[in-house]
Amino acid sequence: MFLEIDKKDKNSIALIDSGDDCATYGEIIDFGASFYNCIKKRTLIFVLCSNCVGAVMGYLGSMMNRIVPLMLSDSMDSKQMENLIHIYRPEYIWKPENMVGDKEKVAFSGRSYALVSTGLSSYPLYEELSLLLTTSGSTGSPKLVRHSYENLEAQARNISEFFELDHKERPMVDLPINYTYGLSVLNSHLYSGATILLTSRNVLDLNYWAFLKKENATSFTNVPYSYEILKKLHVFQMELPSLKTFSQGGGKLNEELHKEFAEYALRTGRRFIVTYGQTEGSARMAYLPAEYAIKKCGSIGKAIPNGHLFLVDEDGKEIDEPNVVGEMVYQGPNVTLGYAKTGEDLILGDERHGILYTGDMVKRDEEGFYYIVGRKKRFLKLCGYRISLDECEDMIKAAFHIECACVGNDEYMNIYVTTMQDHDGIRKYISAKTKMNSNVFRVLYLERLPRNEAGKILYSKLQ
Amino acid sequence: MSNLEKYNQVFCEQFSLESGFDCEKVKMNDTADWDSIGHLNLISALEDVFGIMFETEDILSFDTYHRGIEILGKYGIEI
Repeated sequence: MFLEIDKKDKNSIALIDSGDDCATYGEIIDFGASFYNCIKKRTLIFVLCSNCVGAVMGYLGSMMNRIVPLMLSDSMDSKQMENLIHIYRPEYIWKPENMVGDKEKVAFSGRSYALVSTGLSSYPLYEELSLLLTTSGSTGSPKLVRHSYENLEAQARNISEFFELDHKERPMVDLPINYTYGLSVLNSHLYSGATILLTSRNVLDLNYWAFLKKENATSFTNVPYSYEILKKLHVFQMELPSLKTFSQGGGKLNEELHKEFAEYALRTGRRFIVTYGQTEGSARMAYLPAEYAIKKCGSIGKAIPNGHLFLVDEDGKEIDEPNVVGEMVYQGPNVTLGYAKTGEDLILGDERHGILYTGDMVKRDEEGFYYIVGRKKRFLKLCGYRISLDECEDMIKAAFHIECACVGNDEYMNIYVTTMQDHDGIRKYISAKTKMNSNVFRVLYLERLPRNEAGKILYSKLQ
Repeated sequence: MSNLEKYNQVFCEQFSLESGFDCEKVKMNDTADWDSIGHLNLISALEDVFGIMFETEDILSFDTYHRGIEILGKYGIEI
């Protein structure tokens, strides 16, 4: 069974959410059976998520019964949602009861969620297809990542191995479960028989800390900017006796902050573990073991168990010598099948055969630790979410009819334009489109954009 | 510049508000850009302007324009 859920202690609590709902492993199994009785076949379903027991039950009810879920945020823009329904034709949607319309047909309900049938019939599904996720950015692209059953089992097994997880763990899961990183925390802890603490609140909410303390959370997993907030909140002085592990992923943490957290962890007998991953690799592919957190500050570490990392040069030849930059390639059982762009793509098989070109430009030191130095592909990870620079450019060009070039790092995006007009409007527009705080965008004026003879923008000349 | 002017200026800069904004309506997760990143920026800016360092509880309960004035009072900043 999925994540060997049937082998856990039936009476032990698997899920607790900050809305006071909870579920045991036994209840998950029973729920899965009732869920299947309503659907009775392999088909496509959308699961509209917030971090609560109801959403996880729909996810697990699907996974345990070979029903394929596409995990989406319950606060997704309704136009984007309609577009996805139109493209992928889910037969059912599992959504919060308070989102069910008067005319919708509810086939089943439980845990404040309802199963609504759409009247659509699913496209044929590849037999090993288990789960669909959007690539982490929210620019509205309908491109999905296709996962196999083995991808998710490998993800859970490998992560629980390198984090040394057991049933006593009580992780805080506030990263969205429709986001690969959040989902990987959920899966690896279910596999370990742990008790997962679910909340959609964030670290700037008093109730977040009340929940964390009341439920004696043992680990905290988050993206770089949450670590900046933690520092601002004087986390180093907080009394958090149960919290033993801090883990970071979702983009590059600046080295100074990495060092401060590593030293804090060492000083207080905790673990600080940096990880590296992508949706295409079913979340994590590399990690820096806690004992190297200080010595190898700024590194993403080495490949996770059962995975293999190597670097290739521009001709695709493997680089053997240390301290040479090349594209990092990952090989392992968690490499996903490929993308889907249309409903017809759901029948496609494995297009990657276990090998993923990450698009990250990386160097390896003499002791085999990897360091990210840049990206080959044009995207940023703002607040942990992938944002395509080209998509942003296209949206701005289309909306404002101007020339534009986007560049940046994992902290902010610089948008170069050749107009002095309406910089504030551009910032607000792209902030609304990406659902990111407008302060991470800067609009800068240039008389003309640097281009080569062929007219291609020279991004290397922009910062 | 008075403390009130300084306080208002920080809000204007952080959340792109026009001077003379309706302070009743300025609330976290309601005012544009006052999300978690915006909050971090707001807190840092106020700390710089008034030369103070907020305690954890105060950062977490600072969720409206008016609540901020009460909190600053605890640090001896009269607005």
